[in-house]
Amino acid sequence: MGPKNLFVAFVLAIALSAGIFLSVRMQSSSESPSAEQSSIFVLPAPSPLPAFALVDQRGEPADETVFDGYWNLVFFGFTHCPDVCPTTLQVLSAAKQELAAAGQSPLPRIVLVSVDPERDTPEVMAAYLAYFGDDNLGLTGSEEEIRKLTGALGIYFDKRPTDGDNYSVDHSAAVLIVDPDGNFYGLVSGPHQVENYVNDLPRVLGSR
Amino acid sequence: MRIVTVTLALLLAACGGAAHAPLIASDVEITRPMPGREMSAGFLVLTNNTGTPVAITRVSSPQFESVEIHETTVTDGIARMRRLDELRVPAHGFTTLERGGKHLMLMRPVDEGNTVTLQFYAGDALQLTYTYTYPTETS
Repeated sequence: MGPKNLFVAFVLAIALSAGIFLSVRMQSSSESPSAEQSSIFVLPAPSPLPAFALVDQRGEPADETVFDGYWNLVFFGFTHCPDVCPTTLQVLSAAKQELAAAGQSPLPRIVLVSVDPERDTPEVMAAYLAYFGDDNLGLTGSEEEIRKLTGALGIYFDKRPTDGDNYSVDHSAAVLIVDPDGNFYGLVSGPHQVENYVNDLPRVLGSR
Repeated sequence: MRIVTVTLALLLAACGGAAHAPLIASDVEITRPMPGREMSAGFLVLTNNTGTPVAITRVSSPQFESVEIHETTVTDGIARMRRLDELRVPAHGFTTLERGGKHLMLMRPVDEGNTVTLQFYAGDALQLTYTYTYPTETS
């Protein structure tokens, strides 16, 4: 290319980049959440959970009253999940830390319900949850009892063989909110972002 | 004159070094196996500097018993993970392995060292070797 054409190409490239940059900036500011656009979908009325008999990460029995006294962020996943589950739990943990730093009280409790009870024993859950901060709750048990809970909450999960004895589990990616009375209160769809929780949870946490 | 041109071209190619390697790994992150877990996830960008598409059909690592390529998809609110038979890197293009998308699943670590070496094969041909060092722990 001759020097003149090179110069023109260079100017065009700058102009194009500036144009793209500006349009992305404008787009993102017009989509920033307002009160009406909370990332949390709140149910028209809190919905009681069915009875169930699971165990927590200490192996202690946990029934439907286990949620009482906390605003619970409930995620359905499994410890052998390399991507979605650790990422979601990391987001929830980071959001909780930010809320704590901002003086938020009460703080939500992070709950992992296993969709892979065969591999997710209480001991495994305990070690895994410790990785994502303190005071998290893990629930596991028989598939039948887990399905009582997931069925009532519209959560899907299904085992998928990969190779040999390995398998993955397809599962819903939403985070569900269970209120301090143990009722299904609302949900947050993925992809999960720290800012959404930090911006929108305080209104929920302060609602009673 | 011709010999000089060819020699110069070869010298320039040699001086290019890594920048002109056919396949490059960058932005590599490998998660440490979590407590009680025998598995890590690997994320990276693979760039193909050649004019021919590359299909990585196998990845291996001396630090893990087995490595697989997987893809996460979230459709209609359901997260699924599927094993991929190959990783296609377009000619003069790249493919990204990142959270929520394609990733390496590294299973059953065989040592507790600080590095992980990844070997990328297209069929039987080793295309790329990359050694990753875990960042030092900060609490």
